[in-house]
Amino acid sequence: MPHDSHDHTDPPSDLALRVKALETALTRKGYVDPDAIDAVVDTFETKVGPRNGAAVIAKAWTDPAFKQRLLDDASAACAELGFSGQQGEQLKVVENTDAVHNMVVCTLCSCYPWPVLGLPPSWYKSHAYRSRAVIEPRAVLQEFGVDIPNNKEVRVWDSTAELRYLVLPELPAGTDGLTEDALAELVSRDSMIGTGVAQA
Amino acid sequence: MTNSVHDMGGMHGFGEISREENEPVFHAEWERKIFGMMMTSLGPFQVNLDNVRSRMESVPPTTYLKLGYYDKWLITLEELAIEKDVVSRDALAALMAGQDVQLTRDVDPFPADGMLAFLATGATAARQIETAAVFKVGDQVRARNLNPGSHTRLPRYVRGHLGIVIADAGGQIYPDTNATFSGEGPERLYTVQFQATELWGNEANPKDTVCVDLWEPYLEAARTP
Repeated sequence: MPHDSHDHTDPPSDLALRVKALETALTRKGYVDPDAIDAVVDTFETKVGPRNGAAVIAKAWTDPAFKQRLLDDASAACAELGFSGQQGEQLKVVENTDAVHNMVVCTLCSCYPWPVLGLPPSWYKSHAYRSRAVIEPRAVLQEFGVDIPNNKEVRVWDSTAELRYLVLPELPAGTDGLTEDALAELVSRDSMIGTGVAQA
Repeated sequence: MTNSVHDMGGMHGFGEISREENEPVFHAEWERKIFGMMMTSLGPFQVNLDNVRSRMESVPPTTYLKLGYYDKWLITLEELAIEKDVVSRDALAALMAGQDVQLTRDVDPFPADGMLAFLATGATAARQIETAAVFKVGDQVRARNLNPGSHTRLPRYVRGHLGIVIADAGGQIYPDTNATFSGEGPERLYTVQFQATELWGNEANPKDTVCVDLWEPYLEAARTP
């Protein structure tokens, strides 16, 4: 057999085998339904992600009444746009201003506002980010290319409870006249975690 | 376990934060499967999120640091299935070796449509409580020096430190009791803002702060000097 045609003959990794064994056992015992697994995975791969959050931010930038509702009760305001559910039952939106730059971490595990940002990126779950964000946020921000002047507060939110935080980034300059959809394009995932800023 | 390595805030030595451009939601089929299994099986297993967090933290610290994110999910779910007598360690090993194992259904799984409905609505941890708030917004409080040895959400780096209450989130399920199935025991949750210099000393920027969500039993009134 030619050496390069091993698409289906590579041995699965140990982890893959373990997961397969567990899946077989739990399926046969009735603890999981393969269709339900696929439905959950599909939700987070194709339906829920940071574009949801970007739509929320863009609306807040263009609609002052919505922004106020968002700051008062973020879960209810996000639900107006159809974004709600698990790990977002109690959303809190924190607003970046001239005086404060907000940044979110979960030092104890990896809590994250799923309905508006989807599942967290690997770096958010990394030991490096979880350990450093609270003790040296400015050094972390510099690694992400964000420089906050020394006279501006960096406010770190450690998600220790079931409140989930979303950062409302500052509206970039030079965006006058842009539509809500165009503004949403400027909102990166990292700008809503606070390790980035929205850029025109 | 409370004083273990999962409580990482303020640790040194983990290096630069490695980032991946255009990172996929999952990196492998087995990650998809373990995520989906965890999400759908907690109901049939009759465990709550605090209990699952407690299990993940109880992985021995030397192992915890070596494991990837979803590796911990896999180990946690394997141990849960074994502990609940759903499947034996030997049966899992046999399945891994490609042998067939006789296993008969003993519960009904959470179906796909029910799961999607649950994802869309969630389940809030907020609870009505009758007791009046001990602290109010603006109060100075001290995070207690508690070392319970069981699950807690009071990070080590705030213990003993002074902060200001900036929000009252009302009653919330108390993880310390919920994790051990001793009841939801709702307690009032406050957001407490700490000066970075209070937590980390004078090297920290005097402008900077850290806000942490802390339940009432984690806090005491600041004593005036």
